[in-house]
Amino acid sequence: MYQAEGLTKVFPGEIRAVDGLDLKIGAGERVAFIGPSGAGKTTLFRLLNCTLKPTAGRLWVGGREVAHLHGAALRAARRRIGTIYQQHNLVPRLPVIHNVLAGRLGTWSTTRALLSLARPVEVEEAHRALQQVGIPEKLYARTDELSGGQQQRVAIARALLQDPDIILADEPVSSVDPTLAAGIVHLLTDISRATGKTLVVNLHSVDLALATFPRIIGLRDGRVLFDLAPAAVRDETLAALYRGAPATGPAEGALDAPLDPATSCRPLPRV
Amino acid sequence: MPPLTRPPVAVPFPGSRPSRFARVFALLFGLTAAASWWAARVDLPTLFSREAFRNALVFVADGFPPALSPTFLFFLIRPALETVQISLLGTAVALVIGFPLGILATASLAHAGPLHELDLSGRPVRRLLRFMPYGLSRALLSLFRSVPELVWALVFVRATGLGPFPGVLAIGVAYGGILGKVYSEIFEAVDPRPLEALQATGASRWGVFWYGMVPQAFPHLVSYTLYRWECAIRASAILGFVGAGGIGQQIEISMRMFNFGEVVTLIGLLVLMVAGTDALSLRLRRRVL
Amino acid sequence: MAWQAPAVRAVAGPPRAAVTTWLGWAALAGALLWSYRGTAADIGAVLGPEGLAQMAAYGRRLFPPDLSAPLLREVAIGASETFAISFLGTLLAVLIAFGLVFFASANLAFAGLLFEMERPVVRGLRLLLYGTARGLLNLLRTVPELVWAILFVFMVGLGPFPGVLALGVHTAGVLGKLFAEVLENVDPRPIEALQGTGARRLQVLAYGILPQVLPHFVSYSLYRWEVNIRVAAIMGFVGAGGLGQRIHIAISLFLEHQLLTLVLAIYALVTAVDALSALLRRRLL
Repeated sequence: MYQAEGLTKVFPGEIRAVDGLDLKIGAGERVAFIGPSGAGKTTLFRLLNCTLKPTAGRLWVGGREVAHLHGAALRAARRRIGTIYQQHNLVPRLPVIHNVLAGRLGTWSTTRALLSLARPVEVEEAHRALQQVGIPEKLYARTDELSGGQQQRVAIARALLQDPDIILADEPVSSVDPTLAAGIVHLLTDISRATGKTLVVNLHSVDLALATFPRIIGLRDGRVLFDLAPAAVRDETLAALYRGAPATGPAEGALDAPLDPATSCRPLPRV
Repeated sequence: MPPLTRPPVAVPFPGSRPSRFARVFALLFGLTAAASWWAARVDLPTLFSREAFRNALVFVADGFPPALSPTFLFFLIRPALETVQISLLGTAVALVIGFPLGILATASLAHAGPLHELDLSGRPVRRLLRFMPYGLSRALLSLFRSVPELVWALVFVRATGLGPFPGVLAIGVAYGGILGKVYSEIFEAVDPRPLEALQATGASRWGVFWYGMVPQAFPHLVSYTLYRWECAIRASAILGFVGAGGIGQQIEISMRMFNFGEVVTLIGLLVLMVAGTDALSLRLRRRVL
Repeated sequence: MAWQAPAVRAVAGPPRAAVTTWLGWAALAGALLWSYRGTAADIGAVLGPEGLAQMAAYGRRLFPPDLSAPLLREVAIGASETFAISFLGTLLAVLIAFGLVFFASANLAFAGLLFEMERPVVRGLRLLLYGTARGLLNLLRTVPELVWAILFVFMVGLGPFPGVLALGVHTAGVLGKLFAEVLENVDPRPIEALQGTGARRLQVLAYGILPQVLPHFVSYSLYRWEVNIRVAAIMGFVGAGGLGQRIHIAISLFLEHQLLTLVLAIYALVTAVDALSALLRRRLL
């Protein structure tokens, strides 16, 4: 599904967030990335979902090179990749239903999108997606009135409605409590198993990653440190991955810091 | 996870019917707009007529090239400096008027809230006495800021004669009203817990004010005052129209003589000054906040 | 007393303020003194016995306000014109600003996550568009309302209509700047997510940006309306209708009783608009 060769992203100030990365992920695979903060995980995910343009190297999604796409072709590529973000990235003032239906935007015409804001369409689908994540009763609630765990479910429902080939989840559970976290990760793997969608997850919790995913990739300083089955991951491997963590250097915290709205400090200009 | 088997149920969308308030609001808004359209004698054909276009063209054509002769530029130094002086002193006067009135107009300091719970309960006369200066200062501030600066300027031009001084007084009074109101809002918004703690030590209301309120409010007070200074530069340019000195007076004179080249130069100068003030005040604000 | 404070020896005084701080205060004091002399300010003339007597005399001359029927009719017409100028002017400004601002905020025009994958040529063109929109808004904003009013009086003749245009054009510049600030501070995360689903920019705008910014836009527009009712009251000084025109006449012709009535009318109008705006703010937001 994914193939990367020498994939590199350099931010202003010579910060090499992703540094000559080679990678191959097959269709239907379930992969977890782990690594210290500042390892470049979030930047890698932004490259993988076609938000950032690589500085160097090549990236194929589903056999198609994406680095130079634009316009309709770029939107088509993005439509096939559903992303679940650490901070849910929902629109707080909008009712849940519109946040869920937003997953359809890549398919809808602009007129349909605007009309749906006045009178929602495809309500059944949105309802079914919410049912799948366990909160169908929140269909018309205002999104900012939901708890953190519920908001993350809304984000997953949005990805379900998008019906992508690939699901990327960037630290999907770092803002919910541990018991919920396991539930959400299992929900994602269940979906992947049931539908054959490729699942690429970025996890803080090493235990959860080792327990749930058949393939673990350790990322450090923008490079792949190891790429192993969970059984092959030893304590020494992990120690090497997290040695001296949090990583030193200019990239520390600046690139992978949790996107706390109040203290958000990132190399990208605000959107 | 809950079972995935519950059948989906179509739920009607609750928000499809606009609320009563929304409908009444839309109706009143439309009526007001229509009435205003009529009252303001909106005349689109005239605006888009050839004659209006020609007039605008004359205005613009006369404005270019702008007057840039050394004598004129040299002559502008004085009004430009005068504008700065009016804005500075005007803001200072506004501060002198606004600060005391703002303190009096702060509800949490005068009569309301936990600071007065014990002191005023069951003493209606005392409460009234406390309330009177509060109400009076509020009314005065409201009068000061509701009458536009330009009207104040006219009044002061009558009282003290032409020149920059009435401009200073006009800005001082009008902005004093604004500053006083905003100061009181800032004071009321400070964290009340330190105030309670101070009062519990037996501090008087003045003690609570200086040790609890002012330190918390200070950065905001400075920041807002600086912002008002920026506005004062712009305002002092307007005040010149009624003879209160500064660049505005010069704009008025050049306009009356249909010398649009000078007008363009003057507006350019004003733009530069406003931009300069913005930049300076931004730097100062960054330091205090 | 059982407890006694321990004896304190040699405590250093508070650290002295930095030299720059002192210089700053000195510069401020100097600037004020310079302004006092430069503006020929004379506090004595205002607050001295003579000045106070003069002001009191002027105050007495204002009373009683003229409440004759013809004047009241005049005041009613003037007040309705002033209200109309402020209302339509603000409305016009909102329309202009709303049309321009999406090109005038960097994150929606050419920079940031939305444009990371965009071709350099397109970004360059959009940067140009951004510069134009910004420049236009700056021009609208920095030319004072009264100068705009004079221009429009020149174009379409005397009356409240040029007042509407002047207020609309100038306020568009102000609102454009405020709106752009709101847009540039919008939470980027929902936008990133929406773009990630393959949404078009217009769809991102409708689903991700407008829901975040519209309440702020409404709030700023109401705030500006409160400012504009005051400005509309003086538009008449350059022939653009409303109460200002009558005030100008009353002052020029020494009609003090009429002046008081007019000023009271402005006071009432401004207070009413402030209250209405506060009410709307509460209900709409």
